[in-house]
Amino acid sequence: MDLIQHPRYIDETKCIACGACEEKCPKKVIDPYNIGLAKRKSIYVEYAQAVPLKYAIDPESCIMLKKGKCGACQKLCPVDAIDFDQKETSVKLEVGAVILAPGFKPFDPKRFDNYQYAKLPNVVTSMEFERLLSASGPTQGHISRKSKDHGDPKKIAWLQCVGSRDMNRCDNPYCSSVCCMYALKEAVIAKEHAGDDLECAIFFMDMRTHGKDFERYYDAAREKHGIRFERTKVHTINPAANDNLEMRYIKESGESISEIFDMVVLSVGLEANPAVTDLAKKINIDLTDNQFCNTNSFSPVATSRPGIFVCGAFQGPKDIPQSVVDSSAAAAAAGEILSTARNSLTKVEEKIPEKNISGERPRVGVFVCKCGINIAGVVDVPAVAEYATTLPYVEYAADNLYSCSQDTQKTMAELVKEKNLNRVVVAACTPKTHEPLFQETLTSAGLNKYLFEMANIRNHDSWVHKNNPDLATEKAKDLVRAAVSKAVLAEPLKESELTVNQTALVIGGGISGMAAAQSLALQGYKTHIVERDDQLGGQARNILQTAKGENVSENLQAMTAGIESNSNITIHLNTTIDDVQGFVGNFKSKINENGSEKSLEHGVAIIATGGHALVPEEYLYGQDPRIMTSLELDRKMINNDPDVAKAQTAVFIQCVGSREPNRPYCSRVCCTHTVDSALELKKRKPEMSVFVLYRDIRTYGERELLYREAREAGVIFIRFGLENKPQVNLEKKQLCITLTDHILNRPVRIETDLLTLASSILPARDEKLAVFFKVPVNEDGFYIERHAKLGPSEFATDGVFLCGLAHYPKPIDESIAQGKAAASRAITLLARETIFTSGQVAETNPAMCSQCGVCVSLCPYSAPDFIPGDARMNAGKAQINPVLCKGCGLCVASCRSGAIHLKGFDNDQIFAQIFAINMVN
Amino acid sequence: MKNLLELMGVEPDRIHFSWISSAESTKFVQVVNEIAEKVKALGPNRHFVKQEAKVA
Amino acid sequence: MTDWEPKIVSFLCNWCSYGAADLAGVSRMQYPANIRVVRIPCTGRMSPKFALAALREGADAVWVSG
Repeated sequence: MDLIQHPRYIDETKCIACGACEEKCPKKVIDPYNIGLAKRKSIYVEYAQAVPLKYAIDPESCIMLKKGKCGACQKLCPVDAIDFDQKETSVKLEVGAVILAPGFKPFDPKRFDNYQYAKLPNVVTSMEFERLLSASGPTQGHISRKSKDHGDPKKIAWLQCVGSRDMNRCDNPYCSSVCCMYALKEAVIAKEHAGDDLECAIFFMDMRTHGKDFERYYDAAREKHGIRFERTKVHTINPAANDNLEMRYIKESGESISEIFDMVVLSVGLEANPAVTDLAKKINIDLTDNQFCNTNSFSPVATSRPGIFVCGAFQGPKDIPQSVVDSSAAAAAAGEILSTARNSLTKVEEKIPEKNISGERPRVGVFVCKCGINIAGVVDVPAVAEYATTLPYVEYAADNLYSCSQDTQKTMAELVKEKNLNRVVVAACTPKTHEPLFQETLTSAGLNKYLFEMANIRNHDSWVHKNNPDLATEKAKDLVRAAVSKAVLAEPLKESELTVNQTALVIGGGISGMAAAQSLALQGYKTHIVERDDQLGGQARNILQTAKGENVSENLQAMTAGIESNSNITIHLNTTIDDVQGFVGNFKSKINENGSEKSLEHGVAIIATGGHALVPEEYLYGQDPRIMTSLELDRKMINNDPDVAKAQTAVFIQCVGSREPNRPYCSRVCCTHTVDSALELKKRKPEMSVFVLYRDIRTYGERELLYREAREAGVIFIRFGLENKPQVNLEKKQLCITLTDHILNRPVRIETDLLTLASSILPARDEKLAVFFKVPVNEDGFYIERHAKLGPSEFATDGVFLCGLAHYPKPIDESIAQGKAAASRAITLLARETIFTSGQVAETNPAMCSQCGVCVSLCPYSAPDFIPGDARMNAGKAQINPVLCKGCGLCVASCRSGAIHLKGFDNDQIFAQIFAINMVN
Repeated sequence: MKNLLELMGVEPDRIHFSWISSAESTKFVQVVNEIAEKVKALGPNRHFVKQEAKVA
Repeated sequence: MTDWEPKIVSFLCNWCSYGAADLAGVSRMQYPANIRVVRIPCTGRMSPKFALAALREGADAVWVSG
């Protein structure tokens, strides 16, 4: 493939992001990262967290590049990194797979004259509001109006579906999936910042909080934070006095309202970027009608062109967790076709033997960095270095112009050898970015990398005390003294090595477990699937078709055949798990297969135990064969049941068991499933009357098109509230449903032949399994992932992963994507074969341990446990598994016997720092 | 913790707790300012400092 | 005592407040030079003993921030 790399006019290998250039650059331009709410210089870093943290020059505004004059940055740059002669370069790469993750473009509401976004300063987009709320944004998180008064708004409205679910004013018929939730979040945070006197109102059509824990957030926004919700579409925004805004809308009751707000946020949708559409045409991949990448539910990250995969919002509007799932899945899909090439381009690092320093007196080397003028401009660096030589155990101290530059690193390594140093302190910038670099220098000099300490005299000193050089120098001396006193006590730490068993165990043979096993096997790993039932497939066996119209049973059969024929996969049917021992890399599970006990050894485990439909306890379920659940209707349709064919009328009731006080979550799939079933009934028999009784229709993403299609096909949608749910009665064998129509505000009575209850999805709830693998379960019974956004397919406990309904209700495409994602995450461990853990871990002293168990119950990573009672040594005492320990120190602080030590941050080291700081000079 | 210190004769304003996310640099500076101001108002800490003869 | 400057021993969580302090530096915000940072891996590492030790050793105040 051919790539074009645009010039950044900065030599990345030289730039140290000191910021001197930015300070002096004379050209100010609008900052696109802050959506035009702030200005930045022509030479810039896009945002504080940018990776790599290197400057770039904007060729559109740079005076030098435009007019050939200026060059201030070039004169100033201390490392000579500015290169105005850089040219566009083309790069040729030979690759086996391509993953497309080009994202989306926020909808631009300028074209909507009714909202007057372009004209009225206090009409802002949600993206702008996001920047206003951000602590690192242009207002440091203070919400102020864009009008000249820059006043604090007292009343803010959010308008939903701007550029989404709209065919009249724009061509975006789909739902953008994320806007309801972000509007809720923005309103809640705005109120948290501004306090109770801020009024927030959200104007919406359907509230779509279908993600994990989202419904609870919606409930809290309404009930706890006092956010107002108006179900209506606002038609116009007019200017009012004092740059306020007048909104006209019709309340649900039919009343026409005019209301004044002092700020309006347009919840803009997601749309495809035209540049990406062009790229898709160029590389010949299929797009949907809405220019999103077209995929199949059974291969959710594969484009129409083999070897090219997709993830993120280019595949369709989606939120962060789903994007992260897809990205892992795309990595797995690429891994499946490239597994033979794995490790073929790996380079082995040369290992330098580590010097044994035990018994040696500490000999500390202190390097004080000037960081050009960044530190030396404020702090008297030579004085600090001079001072360092007077500290106990300091053998050598000097200053460097740039400690992080390659030649300085070399010099430092040589000095370590020459002066026979056994501890190193660098006083420079922050260990968060530079500790690994200096540790590498130590390693290259034959020193254990934990014999190192940093003093942060830039970020925490010179940069923040510019006007107080004397105090800053004093502070630098204090920090260096503290760092030296800690380093003196540093010991070489061992990183434990662990061999990872190259076998995987997948628990649950439903569709996501199958997807996980298949991906693992295709990437060359032996995989066991354990299934409680007598066949694979799980809930998917009961489903007629996907939202995209794919036949589920045919696809499932193909998937099953693929798994059965893969020699890497062993299927254990009619099997349960009786016991699990061990931890990441080395699990031992006892299984019971058809009554016989077996033992499996595996390095990783994927929990895919799925879920099932609730058996409804309302709406007369179980009292009449015409009343059934959604899956039962699917079964009847799969079997071409005559009762379905005969029916003249069919009614669906939504949220049966979901979004109720005792089960406050949305089951995510039921709206789409119902709409799909309703359409199928209409297709089979166009004259059938079909009613859907719902609370909010949540056909997120391009599923919205099905909802539109259903309404066009004549399916009638009637909304109800939790306080007036439909009544189901049997009157002389006639099935009758009564409820109040929300538009007519009058009671409606429907006589029906079929009543389908969209019952909620319940997790499998296997408490034993949660205990076996030491993984947490939430109030609703779903497993709790490592991170709700960034770690959706893995647990905080290393080596254990999750996917499918065990995580949260989700449709087939998302279940398969998460199955692949869990496999992908698991392979990040398996592929390493051996794991080295951090040396900064906790360790118990069994002689001191009182066996109270606080550490065992407290640790979020399940690292401590008790030594078995029958062990020969220290039976019953706590021990910490260094492989699982993350070095947080929670157990250390909680240990009442003082039996736990945290290597690298031990008590004596912290005390030494405290003493050193308070030492009077 | 504050109560314990008070019991020992240490002013409660000599210990502070806060929660700041890594993106909230503004809040960080604000908290530093507040604490520094409060502690300056209290004057040097004398109550609990170990009283040993210090070699000058 | 006009030029007396208090010393505030500050225990900052590596992942939260320590990062905020770094960012404050990157943004060149200015604040009083009274704090002395002790980096801890997590506020869970914090022990009351550290606070007491700091005060006993003559620190004018202690700040713990997660």
